[in-house]
Formats: sequence, C-alpha cells, structure tokens
Amino acid sequence: MNISFDDSVIKIDVDKEIYSLTVLHKCFYWYTGKYSLDICALDSTYLITISDVTTAEEKDALIQKIRKDLIDFKTREIISIETKNIRDLLIAKAFAHEDTFEEDPPPGISDPLGFDPTSIK
Amino acid sequence: MIQLKAKGIAQNITYSIVAEVVSLPGKDEVHCYAPDINDKIIIASELFESPHFIGIMGITNINHLEVGDIVLIHPNGMVYTLFRKNSSHNSLFITDRCNSNCLMCSQPPKNVDDLDYYYHINSRLIDMIPPTTRELGITGGEPTLLGQRFIELLSHITRKLPNTEVHVLTNGRSFAWKNIPKAIFDVNNPRIVFGIPLYSDYHLLHDYIVQAKNAYFQTLLGFHNMARYGLRLELRIVLHRQTYKRLSMLAKFIFKNLPFVEHVAFMGLEYTGYTPKNGELLWIEPDEYSNELEESVLFLDSMGMNVSIYNLQLCILRPSLWKFARKSISDWKRDYLSQCQQCLLLNECGGVFATSKKHSEHIKAITS
Amino acid sequence: MDTKEVKNTRKFKDYEFFRSPDSQYFLLPFRFHRINAQKEVLVNEVGDFLIVPAGTASRIVNREISEKEEIYHDLHANFFISTEAVPPLIDVLATRYRTKKSFLDEFTALHIFVVTLRCNHSCHYCQVSRVSENKKDFDISLENLMAGIHHMFRSPAKSITMEFQGGEPLLAFDEVKFAVETATELNKVYKKQITFVICTNSTIFTDEILDFCKQYDILISTSLDGPEFLHNANRPKTGIPSYELVIAGINKARSVLGHEKVSALMTTTSMSLDFPTEIIDAYIENGFSNIFLRPISPYGFALKNPKKNKYETDRYLDFYRKGLNYILELNNKGHFFVEDYTTILLRKILTPFPVNYVDLQSPAGLINSVIVYNYDGFVYATDESRMIAENLDFTFRLGHVKDDYKNIFYGEKAKFLSQYWSNECLAGCADCGFQNYCGADPVFHYSAQGDFEGHRPTSDFCKKNMEIISNLFELIDQNGSEFLPIFYSWINNKPRF
Repeated sequence: MNISFDDSVIKIDVDKEIYSLTVLHKCFYWYTGKYSLDICALDSTYLITISDVTTAEEKDALIQKIRKDLIDFKTREIISIETKNIRDLLIAKAFAHEDTFEEDPPPGISDPLGFDPTSIK
Repeated sequence: MIQLKAKGIAQNITYSIVAEVVSLPGKDEVHCYAPDINDKIIIASELFESPHFIGIMGITNINHLEVGDIVLIHPNGMVYTLFRKNSSHNSLFITDRCNSNCLMCSQPPKNVDDLDYYYHINSRLIDMIPPTTRELGITGGEPTLLGQRFIELLSHITRKLPNTEVHVLTNGRSFAWKNIPKAIFDVNNPRIVFGIPLYSDYHLLHDYIVQAKNAYFQTLLGFHNMARYGLRLELRIVLHRQTYKRLSMLAKFIFKNLPFVEHVAFMGLEYTGYTPKNGELLWIEPDEYSNELEESVLFLDSMGMNVSIYNLQLCILRPSLWKFARKSISDWKRDYLSQCQQCLLLNECGGVFATSKKHSEHIKAITS
Repeated sequence: MDTKEVKNTRKFKDYEFFRSPDSQYFLLPFRFHRINAQKEVLVNEVGDFLIVPAGTASRIVNREISEKEEIYHDLHANFFISTEAVPPLIDVLATRYRTKKSFLDEFTALHIFVVTLRCNHSCHYCQVSRVSENKKDFDISLENLMAGIHHMFRSPAKSITMEFQGGEPLLAFDEVKFAVETATELNKVYKKQITFVICTNSTIFTDEILDFCKQYDILISTSLDGPEFLHNANRPKTGIPSYELVIAGINKARSVLGHEKVSALMTTTSMSLDFPTEIIDAYIENGFSNIFLRPISPYGFALKNPKKNKYETDRYLDFYRKGLNYILELNNKGHFFVEDYTTILLRKILTPFPVNYVDLQSPAGLINSVIVYNYDGFVYATDESRMIAENLDFTFRLGHVKDDYKNIFYGEKAKFLSQYWSNECLAGCADCGFQNYCGADPVFHYSAQGDFEGHRPTSDFCKKNMEIISNLFELIDQNGSEFLPIFYSWINNKPRF
C-alpha cells in the first residue's frame, strides 16, 4: 500500500489482488460524510483520493484509521464469502413452514446393545 | 441410610412376585398380598417348618417394611422394596443399561439386557401403586433404551396414575430423533417432566464428561425437539472440577438457547459409583466454585428462570443462595454428620449423601 | 437376576479422544464492530455477542485460533465457528433466528387513531399542526373511525394495542368512547387481546373520563418534560400553566386507575439537553420509576422552529450519557429506576427474545407493526408519517380507511417501502456489527435526508444508535459485574432489593 499526502489530499494505492472494489466501496463509504472521495482503477492497483483533509494530525489519524478499516472490511468480505451458503440455509430454515428442511441428528447413539431410536413410534 | 433390600430363605416362591405389604402382625412378621397369588405371602424373621408356608423366612431385619409398601419377592430369597408408602422418593427402575458413561455416574451402568425383566416388574407395580401417590420417578440407566415399551410404560402410568407427577431422569439424547418426542406427546400426559443433564456449553467438554461423542449435539437437539411438542423439561448440572470453570457461560447459554426449560438444578457431587475412581478429575471443595455458582444461580434467577441447588449443605453455601437450596437427597440415602447436631439450620438443610465416601471438610454447624 | 450380560467395554477415554485430529474450523455468519482502541464486539447472526481484543475477528478468519484457547470454546459455544461445514445445531440456530424475527407473525399490532388535531397546548416541538381548541373540523368522523376499527380487526395479530392520539384526544372524548365501546363489542367475535392507551396531556381529566378508563382498563400515557420551569417552557398553554395541571391530572388518574396505569414520556428540546439529572429527579419526585430519554425527531413543527429545536446529536448523546450514568448511580444505591431506551437495546443484546419496538426493528415498524388512522380518514404508515403530511408531503400516506385492506397494507406504497425497510439490505447497515440491535427507518431518513435509504455516515439515527450501543458494550466490558445485575433487573422489570 502506498500512501501520499499533498495539499489536503491523501492518495492511497492498494493492490487489486488484496483489496476488491467491493471492500474499498464498503470501507470508504464511511468517509463520505466528511470528505470527498474518488476511486479509480489503475493497472494493478486501485487509487483512492481523499480530499479536504485539513491538518497534519487529521491526516495521521485518518491514515491510521484507514489501515484498520481496510483490514476490517477485508475480514468482513472473507466472512461474507465463506458463510454465504450457511447464511442462506439458516434463513431458509428459519422461515420454512414444514420441518422437511431439518437435518438428521449426528450419529452414534453409542449403546453397546444396539438401541435404535428410530424404532419408536 | 434406609434399608431397601433384605435376604432370607424362599419357600414356594417360583417366580418374582410383586406384592403389597398389607399387615404387620408382629415386629418379626410381615404379610403381603399379590394379585396373582391366592394366599397371603409371609416375610418373617423366624424359620417356619410348614410346607404350606409361602414367602421368605429367616430375614434378620424387616423393620423397614411398612403397610402399603410394595416389594419384589424373589425365588433366591431376596426381598427388594420397590415402593414406600410413606416416602415421596419412589422411582421405577427401568434398566442398568446406559448409552452414556458419565465420569461421575453414581450408579455405574452395566451392559446387560435387563429390559424385559424390569418392564414386567414395573408393569405390575404401576397397577398396584396407589393413585393418590403425588410423585413418581423413572430412572435407570437410561430409560429411553426401553424403546417402544417406554412409550407404553408412560401410557400405562397415564391411565393408572393420572394425578401423579412423573419425573423422568434421562440423558435426553434419544430425543434428537423426532419420532420419540412425537410419541411422548401422543401419550398426552401434562404431568411428566424430563430431567436432562447438560454439563458445559462447549461440546467437547460435555462429550468428555459423559464419555460419548456427539452427546452434546444430540442432547441439545433433544431439548429442542421436546420443547417443540410443549413437553416439560428440567435441566440438571452436576458441580465438579470439570464443570465449574465454564459454569457462568453455561448459565448464559441455557438462558439464550433453552429458555423454555421449566427448572434448572445445580447439583452437588455424590461421591460414589464412578466418582471415587475419577476422584482426581472430579473432586473439588464447594467453596472453590462459590463465585461461579453464585453468579450462575443469581443470573438465571434474575432472568426469571426457576432455579434450585441440590445436594449442597447450607453451611457451605453463601447465604445469598440459601433460598435456592432444596432438601433434595432421597430420604433413604440422606444423612447428617456428627457436627450437624448443633446446627441451628439442621431442619432446613438437606443433609449429605449417606452413599458418599467423602464429604467437604468445611461442613460445620451454623451457631448464630 | 434374569438378565444377560454383555462384555463390559466401559474404559474411560480422556479428553484428547474427543478432539478431532483436524482442528480446522468453519466460520458461521457474524459481524463485528470496534468499540474502542482495545476491544471489538463480535455479533453472530442471532445477536449473541463476545467482547474480545481488537483484531480477533481477523485472527479468527485467518485460522489463527487454536482449540486449546478458551476463546475457541467461547466461539464454538456461541455459534461463531463450527467443526463441520453444516453445524450439527443449525436447526437450533434457525429456531433462534425465527424467534428473533417472530414479531413479524403478529404483523400490525399497534393501531394509532388520531381522533382530533384540536389541542389546548402549543408545544414548541409539536409534530402536528397546532389547532386551537375550537375547530371541530379536525375531529375524526364516526364513519371513518368505524372503518379504521374494522381494519384493526383484520390484522392477524392476536394481541393488539389501540392507541388514541391527537392533538389532545380527550377533547374528542365522545369519539374515544365510541371507539373503545365498538372495539370491545366487536372483540366478542374476534377474541383478540386488546390494550387501550390514551396519549393525553392529563390536563382535562373529568370524573366521567376516568371512570370510563377504569371500566375499560385503559392505560394513560402522558407528557412530562421535566421540572416545572422546563416543562412549562417547552409546553406553553393559555391560562394555568401546564405543569401544575399535568401533575394534578396524573395524580387524579392514578387514584382512580391505579399507579401503574399511568406512564409518562418526555420530549427532549435544546433546552432540556442541559438538565438531564433535573429531569430524572422530577420524574422520581412525581412517583415514576422509569424514563425514556428520547431525542427530538426532525418532523413537523420542529422544522418551523429551528432555533428552539435544532437537533444536535452530540449534545443529545452527552445528555443521554449523563442521564444514564445518573440513573445507574441511583440503582447502585438501591433505588430501582429504569431507562426505557437502554432497556429496549439490552433486551436485544442480552436476551434471545423478539423485541417489539417499532422505531428500532428490521423489517421496520412501519406497516409491519404500526399503522395510523388519521383524523381525516387517511391511513399513514407511522405516526411521523402523518406529521410530515401536515407539511403537505403525502409520501407515506397509504390510502383511505374506506380502501381495501389489501391495498393499504400490501399496496404499491408498501411494496415500494419494503425495499428500504430491512437494515440487512441497506448501505452501511449490511455489514454493521450492531445490525441485530438496530433497525431501519425510511421515514426518518426521508425526512432528515430526503432519501429513503439514508446516508449512514451523516445519519443522526445511525450516529445515535451506534454511540449508545457502543457505550453499552463498554459499560458491560469495563464494569460488567456492577452493571449487568442492574441491566438484568431492568430487562425483567424486577427490582433487585
């Protein structure tokens, strides 16, 4: 990540391989209350431009926050991708009307004499 | 400890008879009646010579038997008390078999196929128990291993003892298979409560304590399936070295995931059965977990759940918890220590297990 | 004994036997939020939380957590991770999710009837047009009232609340009487549980009115802004000043109906923001054991009085924090006193149960939980919606009471608004760690920002809730043993001592 600051504008270059456009949009959405932002695609990076950064302290605090936020939103993206199916399944089950959607219990009733719970009516 | 079995010499007893004690003509003689036998059956200390004597003779001590008690008279000369008229701690014993193997089991299971044997005894017993009986337990081993006949047993009780509160002790794992809660629901008896243990909110720890893989998942699914059918549930936790550390987390877990449970019981350890064998893993002085216990009990109580503490003495509980302590130890195995005789709260306290081989070192009389 | 014994294989296995050799775990859906430099809160799909060191979410995702760590056990027990791709307890989790959203089963439960716009006060912040006491044109017609009542009974909700608002509803007491009597009669067929509430300024109670309220077990919700000087400054009226009459009215109502049947709500103005503890003291002096520290909404007359009611979120948050701290101190000293907004949030955070508070839910309260039958016969999605209409903005007008139920509750407007009423699908909210505890409010955002979806970074709704919720987690984290017992007593409305 390359960060430069010049005349109240912060420019950040992030590696496209690491940070997707979705992550960048979600992350920098939160900065649009106070600042003007621009995101554009270069060859192997995305360039984010943040304007109206007035003081040096503000710049430092902002850069620190941006580093944390980028990691956080990247983490969120991973969670979202990895849990998409389970989340859809969970909500489908939550709103299903019948219990045809339900899982079997985990196996192993562990009775040495061979009790079969499905035998009871 | 109250005596529940005695041995003598059987005569004219060809199969196990379930009989009711109908009179005590002398202190050394008891007369019983069984529906399937025409003559009275005698249990006596003396030896009888008559060939017409039907019963058990030569039993040294039969003072524990009272009119209204129901006994099992065995061809081998044993007299087992199955039901005590003047006790509120009667249970039907289903089997010695269990599909779990808890580290602290006070009644270690046996891999025996004794289902038929006990089922036949219990069937007769249910017919003879007075319908005015307020409470009846169902225990084992694991009662649901009785299979289809477990449902029939419940139905039988429902027909013959419709006003009796039934308390089933079970590991609840079978209830993960929905057909079983459904079958229980169909019995339609609102007076049955199922007491099911849960020892941790973390699955591996619970599985380790009960010595069965997936037991945690099965038990929780069981709770939910039973709740879905509106069946009444109680949750039991045994307090020992393996369970105390995550006790507060367990309490929160219970509130969030099992809020429908009608009662939560925190139980002191009975130092018998498997427990002494696993003593190092399990034994802990109750004052070591007093923080966790207080936090857990007060939390559940403040969230409107019904909480009790069983098997712990008032002197080793913090006063904030006294109102939750119950006299839970069955009368036939309850005892008090010598130092308890001076205790002001002796009558309020539930005492100790007569069966425990070890007691807390902190038990002492409360004198002010 | 007549039994057969099988070879005994009950050797004890140690803990290692139960761990699987491959300790790779799967993620379950969760979100997170940093509450300060050191800590973040992880929140799972059903609202269970864990307060953990900052950066833990990242560690979890990078599979840096080992089964030997206690945090692993916490994560598994609380449904953040699973040892299998489809967790064995997924059906339990689904039941919990269903439980959290089960308020939807009731659909519209709160039915607000604006029986008149006439009022005997001229409150500065009044979110409806002030109309002097004498203009009968601003009363609801019996015909429209009847049509509204029939719509109310069409709701699938088994428990409904019929709430009378105004203006000052008791100025149209005949209409209120008619409505209560008619609803009671109709309910013999519908057999719902009905709660009646009258939102009144408590200055015109007569014996006849209170006897009627007693007969039908009607609850009184009144306005008390704080101590006398503040209350009168906010709520001017001609003749005798408000405060004196309000207190007399409250006491009169309590003596007839019972103490617990009368509740009070405050409205926060710019002036109020300087007096948090004085307002709470005024509530205590007047026998109340709870308060709702509300912010002022940007609707109605508020916009016409920008100087008096300019809403400053930061000042409000300061006011709220001071008020909450004061209330917590009181509780610590043994005085049971509850802050209502905090309690609503705590119920969402600390219990598995659904919380039916129309201003903070997803899907939002409009139509799904609340509906307003206005004095002119038109039907609005929320209380605020009919206030916007006074400025001739009919965006949230759903139809007329004479329209078909389906066209009102499931019509084009409802469908349109449904795009914006779930915070699961809103920009900013979709990833927010506090999503489960917060809600969507398209009416607010339309009013304040001109945009149904809302712009989160500049939304006062978002800022307020995020700050308050974050603050609650900090209190729980830094001083849980002190504050959690208080919070539990609030959730269950059960004094500790």
